[in-house]
Amino acid sequence: MPPLLEVDDLHMHFFTRDGIVKAVDGVSFSLEPRETLGVVGESGSGKSVTALSIMRLIPEPPGKVVKGDIRFRGDSILAMGEKEQRKLRGNRIAMIFQDPMTSLNPVYRIGKQIAEPLRIHKNMSRKDSWDAAVELLKQVGIPQAADRARSYPHEFSGGMRQRAMIAIALACGPDVLIADEPTTALDVTIQAQILELIQEIQARTESAIIMITHDLGVVADVADHVLVMYAGRAVEFGTADDVFYRPLHPYTWGLLESLPRHDVDEKGQLCPIKGQPPSLINLPQGCAFRPRCAYSQGVCTMERSGLVEITPGHFSACQFSGDSGFVEKACGFLSRER
Amino acid sequence: MAPDFFEDPRRRDIGQAAEEQTFGGSEALAETVVAGRGRTLRTDAWRRLRKNRLALAGLVWICFMIILAASADLWVPHFFGAPTAIDTSKVAQQSLLSPSADHPFGTDKLGRDILSRTIYGARVSLIVGVVAVAIMVVIGLILGAVAAYYGGWWDSIVMRTADVFFAFPYILFSIVLIALLGFGLQTVFIAIGVIGWPSIARVFRSSILSVKNNEYVDAARAMGASTPRILFRHIMPNAVAPIIVYGTMSIGGAILTEAALSFLGVGVQPPAPTWGNMLSEARSSLFTAPWLMLYPGLAILTTVLAFVLLGDGLRDALDVKLKE
Repeated sequence: MPPLLEVDDLHMHFFTRDGIVKAVDGVSFSLEPRETLGVVGESGSGKSVTALSIMRLIPEPPGKVVKGDIRFRGDSILAMGEKEQRKLRGNRIAMIFQDPMTSLNPVYRIGKQIAEPLRIHKNMSRKDSWDAAVELLKQVGIPQAADRARSYPHEFSGGMRQRAMIAIALACGPDVLIADEPTTALDVTIQAQILELIQEIQARTESAIIMITHDLGVVADVADHVLVMYAGRAVEFGTADDVFYRPLHPYTWGLLESLPRHDVDEKGQLCPIKGQPPSLINLPQGCAFRPRCAYSQGVCTMERSGLVEITPGHFSACQFSGDSGFVEKACGFLSRER
Repeated sequence: MAPDFFEDPRRRDIGQAAEEQTFGGSEALAETVVAGRGRTLRTDAWRRLRKNRLALAGLVWICFMIILAASADLWVPHFFGAPTAIDTSKVAQQSLLSPSADHPFGTDKLGRDILSRTIYGARVSLIVGVVAVAIMVVIGLILGAVAAYYGGWWDSIVMRTADVFFAFPYILFSIVLIALLGFGLQTVFIAIGVIGWPSIARVFRSSILSVKNNEYVDAARAMGASTPRILFRHIMPNAVAPIIVYGTMSIGGAILTEAALSFLGVGVQPPAPTWGNMLSEARSSLFTAPWLMLYPGLAILTTVLAFVLLGDGLRDALDVKLKE
């Protein structure tokens, strides 16, 4: 049986006046029901573009898939007509957007917005869809849902709006839920609640989740597998345990080192990754991370390594990841705490 | 995690805490909910509009004019005489009387009552204002939406055509149109409507362009909404506020244009009274009978001003971002 969702060597490029922006340049992963995939990386690493490509929300032009495919239950989403795509969007594949303050339409009541996907996909009557919307609001933990459904977005707080957004995404019982930085715009206490809510929903509905974030803490909490992206490419892929406790790629080390930790006793400083992500128009030759990498060697400028399976199910795109001595030595900071 | 997560009392505490954080207690929340009931953007806007004295004065004045004009047949001829009736036997006595109890606004050269003519003139002015603006809004909305949503060639064609219209001297252009189509009220509607659409199209286009980039439009697409649904249900309602404002102000402009056309003799033809042709007739006796000029002039001034003030008030009232 084909996987639920499969992204196969996706190349999404933007054709701009300044040149070709290779926002996503060869990303592959697949997703099974109930699975949570965490996608992490800096801003501009191609996380969101990957998600928006799955939803076909990238305007074309300037965007264009120059290579690769996205398949839902074996059917290519890219080859589908607009009408078939619409049947998937919001119905089988739903998305939770980053900023709940701007993702709700200010002129409609919350209940009506939650009812909208039901009206579009399930052909429900006004009354039935409204009742279903109230039920959904209850499910995402909004008290007095029947009353609150009559509110307008500006009467909701940020956390409540994100709950409403989740209710919209959940309305049709999607198979795949794409959460694009769902907690970035919220404060920390609300973040934890929203993550809990998403996990609870997954346990109940068996949907697969793609959790896009630049917050490694979020991924550690919820993800089964983790995909680390840099400059539009996957640099490391593995189970959450593998990526967090046995990371192989220098970029992942950098990400983990720049994370504040409460379990480190000494008054150590954070170690951010030096430099800026490269321009996606002129990627450096060889490994894209090479200019910022503390461990780079001559060979890194020459050629770029694709993802290589180092240990079963754990892939890295670094030349030296296969050299366990290199990993042990370089990754000493992590082995200390293991 | 427990499957009956939502029944978990600990969970309810979290929800409660979140509410307290947001609303300062569940009682306050209940109040908000009650206050929120039946509150829509429309009632909100009305509440804000009511606070604006000038806009309210404009609205009252417009309503007053509408009532006067609509009910004119019931009482005006009875008290002041029909607006077009000329009693040939009494023209000499009735001609150019200054304002008095019988004729509060005086009479014109042919002995017709100015008050009566001003009130009947309001009919023409208001109808021209509303219908002409309706025409320009319909054309402007469609072309503006097409230009903004489809962009590219459509955008260029529509907006360059609009530029050509802007470059024309509009009074001359409408005179040419009237000359082609013949005199009459309908011609005046069309002439004013056709020259007015470019500004509506331009305002609507920029309004749609700014709304189009909002995340909730992407969210609607992600929901599986079709293009027409997105355009009509998600973009348009958020983009029409400036059109309501601009349209209201344009009614004042259309009334002025009609007056100008009638003044020039190409608008609504005498003996039917309009404020414009009354002014035109008053020209010859400007110094001997100034009331001929004064009252229709005042009517134009106050009505146009009322529409502009109302439009200004609507702009503030419809602005969701302007929180009190």
